[in-house]
Amino acid sequence: MIYFDHSSTTPIHSEVSKRMYEINQDHFANPSSVYESGRKAKSLIEHARFQIAEAVGAKSSQIYFCSGGTEANNQVLWSLINQKNKHIIISAIEHPAISKVLERLKVFGVESTLVPVDKQGVINTSILLDSIRDDTGLISIMLANNEIGSLQPIRKIIKQINKPNVPFHTDAVQSIGKMSVDVYELGIDYMSLSAHKFYGPKGVGALFVKNRDKFSSFIVGGNQENGLRGGTENIAGIVGMGLAAELAVKNQEKCIAKLNLLEKHFLSNIRQSFPLAKHNAKNNLPGLLSISFPGYKSDILMAKLDRLNFAVSNGSACNAGIIKPSKVLKAIGLEDEINLSTLRISFGKDNTIEEVDQFIKTLNDILN
Amino acid sequence: MSGGVDSAIAASILVEQGYNVEAIFMKNWDEDDKEFCTAVEDYKDALQVCDKLNIPLRSIDLIEEYWEKVFKIFLDECKIGRTPNPDILCNKEIKFKAFLDYAKAFGADQIATGHYSMISNQNGSFQLKRGQDENKDQSYFLCRLNQYQLSKSIFPIGDLDKNFVREKAEKLGFMNHNKKDSTGICFIGERNFKNFLKKFFSIQPGEIIKNNGQVIGEHQGLMYYTYGQRQGLGIGGGYSDYEGPWYVSDKIIEENKLVVVQGKNNSELYHTHLTASNMNWIAGYPPEKNKNITAKIRYRSKDALCKINYRSNDILVEFETPQFAVAPGQSIVFYDQDICLGGGFIEKRGSKNIL
Repeated sequence: MIYFDHSSTTPIHSEVSKRMYEINQDHFANPSSVYESGRKAKSLIEHARFQIAEAVGAKSSQIYFCSGGTEANNQVLWSLINQKNKHIIISAIEHPAISKVLERLKVFGVESTLVPVDKQGVINTSILLDSIRDDTGLISIMLANNEIGSLQPIRKIIKQINKPNVPFHTDAVQSIGKMSVDVYELGIDYMSLSAHKFYGPKGVGALFVKNRDKFSSFIVGGNQENGLRGGTENIAGIVGMGLAAELAVKNQEKCIAKLNLLEKHFLSNIRQSFPLAKHNAKNNLPGLLSISFPGYKSDILMAKLDRLNFAVSNGSACNAGIIKPSKVLKAIGLEDEINLSTLRISFGKDNTIEEVDQFIKTLNDILN
Repeated sequence: MSGGVDSAIAASILVEQGYNVEAIFMKNWDEDDKEFCTAVEDYKDALQVCDKLNIPLRSIDLIEEYWEKVFKIFLDECKIGRTPNPDILCNKEIKFKAFLDYAKAFGADQIATGHYSMISNQNGSFQLKRGQDENKDQSYFLCRLNQYQLSKSIFPIGDLDKNFVREKAEKLGFMNHNKKDSTGICFIGERNFKNFLKKFFSIQPGEIIKNNGQVIGEHQGLMYYTYGQRQGLGIGGGYSDYEGPWYVSDKIIEENKLVVVQGKNNSELYHTHLTASNMNWIAGYPPEKNKNITAKIRYRSKDALCKINYRSNDILVEFETPQFAVAPGQSIVFYDQDICLGGGFIEKRGSKNIL
């Protein structure tokens, strides 16, 4: 299989996988236990916390482990229901782990404002600033979009916010290892992370919380994660995430260079062989391309590519595998027909130029 | 592949025969009410089968096509008190048209379904035949297919018994081997027909009358009743019980009246003649006049000997024995022994001189 769907998930790094196996073999004890093996398990988790903190410029005490990006987002949004200011501002292209949560929160009095994006998938900053109300309790804007890769000018936005003390959350699930992410440089209050997007394991994520005053636990139970997240820790997953984050940041420059190379190679070739192809968000996260193929249905393209063992993606499928027009592509102005002829191609650190060449050749055979 | 046992075994047989098989899961209905959202469960069953067979599973969305080409017509027919059969339209317009087109775009040469029916190729002319399992035969629902559609289709389980299909599924380790057969109209599923239709129609109550005009009850809208219906009339006892239960014998659409008679043997419930329109002859032309032809006036009715008189805009069908509950809107489907010849929509029923 040639795998170009790294924005869905990444293969686990071999060092991470090896480390997790060791952890599962050697450190089964409950980190809450006070005897030696318990203490060891606890220190492993704390080391992972340090690794994550280092990777994003935070303090260890500001990192909380959870089950993934979705839970991290939920934790932040659900905290609104206990607060006086229940208005939230989000972009029109947030992940369902943000937008759908807000549908649920309506009954608790949480009101939301959706800020549109331009044709390149970049949020309209002036509308965002105008949307801030006296009762705005949270702004949540993703750092890089998962479908088109558009990057949001988070730092610039935060600098322009006049009203102090409006907490700012960013969903940075797509970004680690593909751009530098520093919580203080960005000026954010909360940030969601997910291990399996940067060659770590599935089922584990982390939330950066600058100041936990406004927070209570979302998953209620034991006193784990300093009382913010109940449930016995997923030790192997957490250790795996810590190591994956360290490796991602260590190899970041090399990885970005590689992704840019693959991307450039793909784009120049596809432009030559299929000039009608449309690259949807030009200022994109390295290696994440949203490409429309006018006149072709993406599900048929996908089926033909699948048959030849290429893995790419088209929008988000429901549980029964049905492809619906993507809301993100709609938000950047794509009509349903072109919306449904769009593929997402997301390269990874281990892809090669030869694989891209094979892909181009296969696409040519299908398209022409 | 629906997630049911029939299409699963259809696929497994093709795999055994060496075909290059891909499965497609088709979604025709947007289920917004969670209670009846079975598509996700069905998809999982289909996935398990495909995993066992080591074939790919893809999904297609034909919700819009189904709504436009099947459901709207179903509603229009209900509205005027007729008894439509959406499964017949679904086969003609969706499974063997929109789906077939889609499959071709996916690169398929032919499609296969889990229908209990057979196709035989007689020197390039395709015949549709009854399924081997008399109790499951589904040729009735395929009566509106044409030569092209049959030429592109395979029915791998048409010569099998349902029991055999289930046993084979169990042997192959398919989890759906004992899944309940789907019954009724697919988009209504296990729901109450009346409650389902209420979402689309306002209630238009009217009188229930005897055939002498005497009012004996109130109905809730003619579309909720079908010819020959016995239950749910709400008139029960009180009216000379010894004559037997009440049956719907007619609908007077213009006056919004439902006519009922007593006893299953009441002659008002039986007709020897009917007219049918929009004939589809699978061969591409009507059968010879002198053939011994039988017809079914609904899926579960027994074959009845009949004669067909071809007229300019319709056909007049004359039965040897009177037929129970002939329902306008339903399909009449003709057979020459095991060959399904085609069908049309029942328009009027009566005795020869009034038609």
